[in-house]
Amino acid sequence: MLAWIKKKWNYFAIAALLIFLILIPFDWFLSRYTSLMIIIGISTMVTVGLCLLMGYTGQVSLGQAAFYGLGAYFSAVLSKTYSLNPWLAMLIAALATGAFAYVVGYPIFKLRGNYLAMATLGIGLIMWILFNQLSQYTGGPDGMSGIPYLSIGGFTFDTNFKRYYLVWCFCLAILFLSQNIVRSRTGRALRAIHGNEAAAESIGINVNQFKLKIFVLSSVYASLAGSLFAHHLRHVSPQPFDFLASIKLVVMAVIGGLASIWGAIFGAGTTRFLSDEVLLGFNKYPQLDIIIYGLILMLVMIFMPEGLFIAIKSFTFWLKVNWRELPSIMKRKRKELPNQMKHIFRRLLLMRLWRKAEP
Amino acid sequence: MSQPILETKNLSKAFGGLIAVDKVDLTIDTGKITAIIGPNGAGKTTLFNLIAGVYPQTSGEILFNGKPLKHSPWYVRAVQPKLNKKIFEDKLQRHDASHKRAALGIARTFQHVHLFGNMTVLENVMTGQHPRSKYGFFGAALRLPKARHEEEMINLNAIKYLNMVGLGKYTNQNALSLPLGQQKLLAIARALATEPKLILLDEPGAGLNALEKRELSDLIKRIREMGITVVLVEHDMPLVMGIAEWIIVLDSGKKIAEGTAAQVQKDRKVIAAYLGEEVDSAEG
Amino acid sequence: MSADQFVQYLMSGLTQGSIYALIGLGFTIIYAVTRIINFAQGEFVMLGGMLSYVLAVKEGLSMPLAIIIAVLAAAAVGAVMYLLAIRTARRASVISLIIITIGAAIFIRGIAGNRFGVNTVSPPDFTGSGSISFLGAYIEPQALWIIGITFVVTTLLYLFLSHTMVGKALRACAINPGAASLVGINTKAMSLIAFAIAAAIGGIGGVVIAPLAMASYNMGVMLGLKGFVAASIGGFMSPITTVIGGVVLGVVESLAVGLDWGPFTSAYKDVIALVVLLLILLIRSGKLAAAERAG
Repeated sequence: MLAWIKKKWNYFAIAALLIFLILIPFDWFLSRYTSLMIIIGISTMVTVGLCLLMGYTGQVSLGQAAFYGLGAYFSAVLSKTYSLNPWLAMLIAALATGAFAYVVGYPIFKLRGNYLAMATLGIGLIMWILFNQLSQYTGGPDGMSGIPYLSIGGFTFDTNFKRYYLVWCFCLAILFLSQNIVRSRTGRALRAIHGNEAAAESIGINVNQFKLKIFVLSSVYASLAGSLFAHHLRHVSPQPFDFLASIKLVVMAVIGGLASIWGAIFGAGTTRFLSDEVLLGFNKYPQLDIIIYGLILMLVMIFMPEGLFIAIKSFTFWLKVNWRELPSIMKRKRKELPNQMKHIFRRLLLMRLWRKAEP
Repeated sequence: MSQPILETKNLSKAFGGLIAVDKVDLTIDTGKITAIIGPNGAGKTTLFNLIAGVYPQTSGEILFNGKPLKHSPWYVRAVQPKLNKKIFEDKLQRHDASHKRAALGIARTFQHVHLFGNMTVLENVMTGQHPRSKYGFFGAALRLPKARHEEEMINLNAIKYLNMVGLGKYTNQNALSLPLGQQKLLAIARALATEPKLILLDEPGAGLNALEKRELSDLIKRIREMGITVVLVEHDMPLVMGIAEWIIVLDSGKKIAEGTAAQVQKDRKVIAAYLGEEVDSAEG
Repeated sequence: MSADQFVQYLMSGLTQGSIYALIGLGFTIIYAVTRIINFAQGEFVMLGGMLSYVLAVKEGLSMPLAIIIAVLAAAAVGAVMYLLAIRTARRASVISLIIITIGAAIFIRGIAGNRFGVNTVSPPDFTGSGSISFLGAYIEPQALWIIGITFVVTTLLYLFLSHTMVGKALRACAINPGAASLVGINTKAMSLIAFAIAAAIGGIGGVVIAPLAMASYNMGVMLGLKGFVAASIGGFMSPITTVIGGVVLGVVESLAVGLDWGPFTSAYKDVIALVVLLLILLIRSGKLAAAERAG
């Protein structure tokens, strides 16, 4: 019985997660976090795209908030100013954002080397400037309000409770779709690119086109998330789509694990929880959030380059296999430590002497 | 006698001032095992890279089944001779035709194996089926029936190729957990999975012991029996002389001799090229 | 646009371009020696500007002393960043290094924002204010300082790289790190020196631009991007071409705004940098990648 549970561990974990998620908005459970969880769900959608991009193409987008913002603004403008059906607006927004990502990405991915980072950084900044400047369409720095709710038939998503389930349906759908993609021929092609580009090319995989497709996919995810965001707050302004927002998304992806799908929930969740709950209380220490993000990015990428979540998973896996030997390992480490320190000191000393002896 | 599967006419490749391949004319007959030999630095791997489409040639043509292999889109080819070549040469290097050549039926292996270390043995070979399958993002995301069917076929074919090279029992191991000799076999299985008409093997015997080399010879003969033309670059003379039906000798980028094993062994130019050269069959 | 106005915009473009050139030099040096694109470059500029203000105005040190300390501090930060963040990462992949430098950038920015506040500040001009008339245009003396110092720094850098042992060692690393270490050059030390020099130059840039264009804790991002564009134009390999790239970008920006061509009001002038960047990436970086493959 226990062995069967251990084997199907993945399914149990997902089932537990689903039950947890379903119960949150109820008052007797954790309903005061409903609003935060909506934002986490929306952020997860963007993060998954970013994780796929970073994990499978090895390139970073430092301007993902631009696509997020495009989705939000397209939805806002189309559904409010032009009174289009909000669902149609969302679809158009996703297509438009995807097309934009395609056009921008096409020349960049044709190049070897990593120019996506700077290019997306620039795009993110430009988009933010445009959101601020094109006030006739976007309402300028104050943004625009009065965006309609989403509704199906007569059912309107007008409370946090209802929108929570809507957002998480979208989010989980995207996670499942992404998982299907990764486990398929397409996913193998992506992992091949990640593993060895030259070999992937030699067996018929058009590397540049795949990278571009993932970039477009990530932009579409971000756009959908942005649309949901607009219909949640019913107000859009440039503020949530600035450079810092793009950085936060990278932090989410880094914590969630590059090339990880379910880790995106973890990444988005912890980062959002950190920024929207924990750090609000530290007003006396300004910019603390930025400092922490910087530290997280540096420390995680130095010591756990696959991402925090994946490192944790690997560690628990190692633990699962080796838990019996833990006490003996600890004893051994404690014995070895003074020796190791001696070793390090000796080496440092030798280096100092050797350098002094050089002409 | 059918049309040669591969021909090169006046093929040259220069890297800056270094001429790696110098006006080489080759004819590879369909269905035969051809070996390309020569001292180190003779341009053999460069030749493979040109045929496989890794980079464009500086001049000359490559014909596959009579049709020339182009490296750049028509609009670049139209404009390129009229403009400063240097500006476009980098652009050309960006237009990667090698993935298209795999679809056309040219497969290759690498000197340094280049397996996908983040996948299992089976997945490596399944990835090789990429040009012979079709379903894409939508089919994958929604798990359409056509996609699932194709996936089953891919799985079965991959197992078939794995069994063909003798790695059938290692399907779920990580690819890099295999010893070098078996990694090379895996690379060949992966190349076979692309269902090629022509397969280029770059030093398949390097790093193998005598037994493994014998198994490799048998494998190459079996590949030939499948109707696939084999071209291999090798340093191990006994291996080459044992299976090659035609041998081409390169030295410093030029073709200096070709013929059957007996003819080539006696050719004076070939002996001169190798004189003082260590033909070390155990080099990796 | 009249001739006078043209000269005016040309001069302001030259001034801005000098700053971009200095920042670009930082990118170029680090990239050439370590093959890393240092996203924190703009933050070194910010540090130079902010520190010179804080030291000169808040702490009351004399201007020259404040400048020297600011530049040295920036260099120190660059060195520490290399030692703690880059060197410890060892064989990190390209994407890891990018994220690490980004992390360092926002970390530095956060600390600066925390210590110095979020206000925009302006240290005093080096020499008195009051425009000087020059070829029909009015130019601030600070702008002359900027152009002059950029020229001096570039010349010194060029001489350093071509005539000193360390400079030649740096160039050796840039051309072929493997061969360089084989002939006894300590590539790790060279990388450290590259970071320190790049940070120092960035700091100098910050120090000279702050009196003219003001400084704030978040000025690093946009400036870094523009410096990157300048370095891209220059091909990331030579200080001279980088400076040319910076000046070209500055002048193009300035003229585009001045010509009032299309939507390029001053708010949009940053868009120009991106457009130039994409064009440069298309044209120039092919050579960059080809050089990467050869080296």
